[in-house]
Amino acid sequence: MRKVAVVGAGMTKFMRRAQETGKELAWQAARMALDSCELTLKDVDCVVMGTAPDAFDMIHMKAEYLSDGAGAWRKPYVRGFLGGGTGVFTADQAWYHVASGLFDVCLAVTEEKMSSCLPHPQGAFVTCWDQYTESPLGTSLLWFFAWEMNRYMTMHGITERDIAAVSVKNKKNALDHPCAQLAAEITVDDVMKSEIMAWPVKRLDVSPTSDGAAALVFVSEDVAKRITDKPVWVEGVGWCLDTMYIGQRDLYYPKYVEYAARMAYDMAGIKEPRKEIHIAEPYDPFDYKELHHMEGLLLCDKGEAPRLLADGVTQRTGNLPVCPSGGLLGVGNAIAASGMIKVAELFWQLRGEAGKRQVPGKPQRGVAQAWGDEMQVGTVIVLGV
Amino acid sequence: MPVDKVTQVAQTKPLHGEIPVYAQYTFGIAGEKFFRELKDNGRLMGVKCPECNLIYVPPRIYCERCFSELTEWLEIPNRGVVHTFTVSHIDLDGNRLKEPVIVALVKFDGVYGGLVHRLGRVEADKVSIGMPVEMVLKSKTKRVGSILDIDYFKPV
Ligand SMILES: [Zn+2]
Repeated sequence: MRKVAVVGAGMTKFMRRAQETGKELAWQAARMALDSCELTLKDVDCVVMGTAPDAFDMIHMKAEYLSDGAGAWRKPYVRGFLGGGTGVFTADQAWYHVASGLFDVCLAVTEEKMSSCLPHPQGAFVTCWDQYTESPLGTSLLWFFAWEMNRYMTMHGITERDIAAVSVKNKKNALDHPCAQLAAEITVDDVMKSEIMAWPVKRLDVSPTSDGAAALVFVSEDVAKRITDKPVWVEGVGWCLDTMYIGQRDLYYPKYVEYAARMAYDMAGIKEPRKEIHIAEPYDPFDYKELHHMEGLLLCDKGEAPRLLADGVTQRTGNLPVCPSGGLLGVGNAIAASGMIKVAELFWQLRGEAGKRQVPGKPQRGVAQAWGDEMQVGTVIVLGV
Repeated sequence: MPVDKVTQVAQTKPLHGEIPVYAQYTFGIAGEKFFRELKDNGRLMGVKCPECNLIYVPPRIYCERCFSELTEWLEIPNRGVVHTFTVSHIDLDGNRLKEPVIVALVKFDGVYGGLVHRLGRVEADKVSIGMPVEMVLKSKTKRVGSILDIDYFKPV
């Protein structure tokens, strides 16, 4: 397979409700990504679109609706969809479009406009659970998170306060992100005192719903060498799906994330991720998920992630900065787009272009990960310079 | 980055719409059997994969691990343990509930999988992971062939 580089990135400001339509958001992000590497739509051979459930935008077959905003006019176009795992998978998918030799330039675009769905996008999940054994109970997305968080806490003796510190860190990191929706200086007490939604999940443990889009440009090695001095290489990709049945999963540990990470690390030739990964952007729609995913990504032992957090290791200035972007908790959660901004953050960080968010020490390699579908898919990408 | 945006979108004119459809599902081969047993006989059924030596609940007609057809149905105990739980304070639309509901994943001895359901006859602060619970059914005349034929699980 051919080497593939990321050469451009773009994103819109994440917000609760954007004036722009979904396709206008897609165009803003896609155009920004192309402009950033001085390419035009004429240079683009194919487009991949990542966008999560149609019901969020309340437009059935929304990838088709979004296509012109994503730059797909008269081009090979395909939608990737893995629920919350979509954003990183779309990058994986763009990689294989180019690595296969079929295309030299692939524009990858992700979009979500969740404010269209009323009274709350959570309602769209009613029909995604098992319609016989789960949906009749009025099953809510929050229950699944709460069940996992409870199990994670119980298995390792982790407290709600340990976990709340993730929210504090990420919302603070987001203060330096120009596109952030929920950047804030908060304390662990603020999280603990916030409204209980589904114990142990509280309001400030959770990322917001957002409208937003993000885009990346993937190119072959020869194109990369022609157009940039600072290519960021895709070193590994991986994805893995666990069972649909919640009762059959290890809720305290995301095994499927580990499998996805191992696939990506093997491809990248990474033997010791704790030493060879310098920066991580794990998926953090809920604060405990960052910790859960650090463990699944083999960046620490099971149950050890809260200690790394408490010791400051995962701060932007620590040995392993985690979610220096501010993550979903701080920047916002425009589902598919929020997965892709994690890949974009690696791109900016590895090029030294992350501005006030730049982690010190010239990181050489990073991992981004998203998670979703029915709470059981892991999608991973490793980028390096 | 395009950061200069209209932030007061209440000022922009909305267009309303809906996706006006509703669903009528079949229960499927395994579901038909599982829910008939629950409704008519008040029994919880599982199905065994002899290849993988696993008993699946909810039951199904194939094994997702080895793709065998599954035909060995058996009754499973109506007692299990709370594998994990939450105390939910909001409904699907984000509104506060008057009374919070306790919902748990219940696992059964020797069974691979489990059922999510409400817990009843217990205070939220008395629930713990590992707590033994027992299925409470609705009376036979009220059962319709639904997971809600189980009223809740209660502490043993
Ligand atoms: Zn089997």
